[in-house]
Amino acid sequence: MDHSKQIQDIASKLFAENKIDYFVGYRQNAIDDSQVPYLISDPAEIPRLVFTDRSVFNLANYLKPEHTRRKRVGLVVKGCDSRALNLMLTESQVKRENVYIIGICCEGVLNEKGEKAQNCIECVMPDAVVYDEMIGTPTGKREYIVNADIKELATIALEKRADYFEDIFSNCIRCNACRHSCPLCYCAKCCIDQETSTLYHGANTSSGAMHALMTWSLHLAGRCVDCRNCEKACPSHLPLHLLHKQNESVIYENFQQHLAGMEKDDRGAFYKYSLSDPDDFIL
Amino acid sequence: METEVKEAQGKIISAENPDIVAPADWQPVIMGILCNWCSYAGSDLTGTSRIQYPPNIRIIRVPCSSRVDPWFIIKSLQTTADGVLISGCHPGDCHYISGNYFARRRFLVTKKLLNFVGYHENRVQFSWVSAAEGPKFAKVVAKVTEDIKKLGPLHRYKKENF
Repeated sequence: MDHSKQIQDIASKLFAENKIDYFVGYRQNAIDDSQVPYLISDPAEIPRLVFTDRSVFNLANYLKPEHTRRKRVGLVVKGCDSRALNLMLTESQVKRENVYIIGICCEGVLNEKGEKAQNCIECVMPDAVVYDEMIGTPTGKREYIVNADIKELATIALEKRADYFEDIFSNCIRCNACRHSCPLCYCAKCCIDQETSTLYHGANTSSGAMHALMTWSLHLAGRCVDCRNCEKACPSHLPLHLLHKQNESVIYENFQQHLAGMEKDDRGAFYKYSLSDPDDFIL
Repeated sequence: METEVKEAQGKIISAENPDIVAPADWQPVIMGILCNWCSYAGSDLTGTSRIQYPPNIRIIRVPCSSRVDPWFIIKSLQTTADGVLISGCHPGDCHYISGNYFARRRFLVTKKLLNFVGYHENRVQFSWVSAAEGPKFAKVVAKVTEDIKKLGPLHRYKKENF
């Protein structure tokens, strides 16, 4: 999967026609074969744009900052990124006329070890769902697979699972990189900062991290698109996808097979309800 | 909350951590978050009808069960509470028409996620109690208290100063 040439052509065309102020893509990292997001405003920098199976990050996140918010931006989105962008459009965070979306029919990206990433193996929608221009041949929606880690953890005894998660939470340093890297966490004031004792309890305690990460994942439940930008940003390499995939699997199973960001004007599973929702857990 | 190490004399063992054992006369603290229009009035009726129910529950009144953010539950469990009971109007009876339908979805996901990270599923319970169901409220509180007594003291992720 190498779409570098096509993306460069489209970017130069957009700049020539004065359709965009900025273009967000990927460029090669100087020190190894990984790639980093690349925001350009000068057409002279277009030859550095690339897109291969190393283009892992979710570029919809770059529509959050103030300097791109009210500007016309062209950007490259894979299947999962386009679902996040779709939600941002629905939630009025981005104006549709301000973005020029280059959708990719993704064949899966690689993780740090050079293997196909887990979220790409379990991907439900590899093609961009919202786009102005499509690159590649669409393969359509795939069947939902319950995450392998979730299935494995569900079989472990409660005490062992609690120990496992306490270990994960105690490694969190509360840098909030997960929150900043998430395209759907755009609130100016975040509710997990409301805790007055955050400074004291926040750093390196499992209780502070548990409070923050659990609340964060529950606020993203029904909206998380499994792009795993949070996991790539985490300096402690925490398996943050476990919390999100657990919520996603419960929502898929119980709430009419809901998947976030697949349709236009779908605000997420918690913004609607059905009279037939399960309530056998309620006394 | 008095907890002792396993070597000491004790009978109630924590469900999440078998090393934590409480004395046999240990009493749990339960956070009750009740909706203003049904369950709070229901609990009021229980009191005015002179129906006995366990005094372990500490009640907070909220406008609607959908006012309950998941982090209310998490924070309760991290501070003093050993269990949480959230109660609202029956489906179809919500004062705000559909609040409890939204809440129901959130509660299911919250309950499953808390269980996933290592809380026993009976730590957080939900009920529908209407303003006329005084006896039902007493029964629900008795059941929840009994369940949480069996589970023992909650030890994980507790904050010492808050």
